[in-house]
Amino acid sequence: MVLVDIRETPSAKAADIFLQIRPGKDFEVLTILRALIKGQAVEAEAVRPTGLTLEQLQDLAQRLKKARFGVLFFGMGLSMTRGKHMNSAAALTLAAELNAFTKFVAMPMRGHGNVTGADVVLRYTTAYPFGVSLSRGYPRFNPGEFSTVDLLVRGDTDATLVVGADPGATMPQPAIEHLRRTPTIVLDPKVTHTSRLAKVHITTAATGISAPGTVYRMDEIPLPLRPILHSPYPTDEHVIRSIRQTIQNRGGGFLPTPDHLQIA
Amino acid sequence: MELSVVQNAVCTFCGCVCDDIELHADGQRIVETKRACILGEAWFKHHTAERLYPAALIDGREASLEEAIACAAEILERADLPLIYGLSNITCEAQREAVWLAETVGAVIDSHTSL
Ligand code: SF4
Repeated sequence: MVLVDIRETPSAKAADIFLQIRPGKDFEVLTILRALIKGQAVEAEAVRPTGLTLEQLQDLAQRLKKARFGVLFFGMGLSMTRGKHMNSAAALTLAAELNAFTKFVAMPMRGHGNVTGADVVLRYTTAYPFGVSLSRGYPRFNPGEFSTVDLLVRGDTDATLVVGADPGATMPQPAIEHLRRTPTIVLDPKVTHTSRLAKVHITTAATGISAPGTVYRMDEIPLPLRPILHSPYPTDEHVIRSIRQTIQNRGGGFLPTPDHLQIA
Repeated sequence: MELSVVQNAVCTFCGCVCDDIELHADGQRIVETKRACILGEAWFKHHTAERLYPAALIDGREASLEEAIACAAEILERADLPLIYGLSNITCEAQREAVWLAETVGAVIDSHTSL
């Protein structure tokens, strides 16, 4: 196991090789690796700013190619630093290109329960995994433009429904301020940080404990939940459906949705 | 209160989604977990079937579920560019409903993946 990080984390003890790179140099490291894998010449000078040596990266490139089945796990550190989505794209391209030599896959490390399910559901309904705008009536995908932090920091949105998340505890301050300024609706089993700055909070049953349904494991295996308790609160599914039905019953909504065109 | 036992319960606290957990509950709360990690055990024991929070809040004041749904519907319908965000700790069935709602109001829909 090779671990690449900007600092020596506890996981480094479990790794066979630990490579410490300079912060913000993810894109450079990934791109140099892509060049080395294809046998292109790389100057030692070009490697120096990454905090690694050419020998280290050459060794890594050889190991990647020699693996019989490699997995590139990547975390949020990659897309949260300089380069953002371009870093993730570089990691995915590296894994894709390695398939010219061996079997290789890339998998994002997931912190939250069913974020993989969100990718899958958005993909099969809209064709894109996240950051999808339906504001023109058809799906458009553009990370940076339609990703939540960017939308909120720029102040593009004028209402937010937050389900299964607590951005009030984790997002940058300007984003939180925008959530406070505009009407925010929160669905959560608890009264969260975001609930406190929201206009509306609705308490819902806890997923998997008292709400049934399906969730996806990180490797995209769907698993049925087996809830053990009966919650006094409705499920998220029920509340979201009720909100949509309320809008449709009033004849409201952005586009007329004939029954035969419904997507869910 | 009689104990109920669920075999092969699924933990949704982290992306590993362990599916081999044994839960014992007394109707109100989970009293024992087997094979869950420390985080999973804390997650299971933390959520109870008790009514700890009001059904809904509007402007910080307690409200009924129906009032809150009507208010939420009005906010989303009125907005020029609403955003639906999160989707991580909910079921796929709820996520599908969220996509449908997004389509109905012309919203941007986004998850933790974009972070
Ligand atoms: S039991 Fe632990 S490792 Fe497994 S899903 Fe729950 S939190 Fe994650």
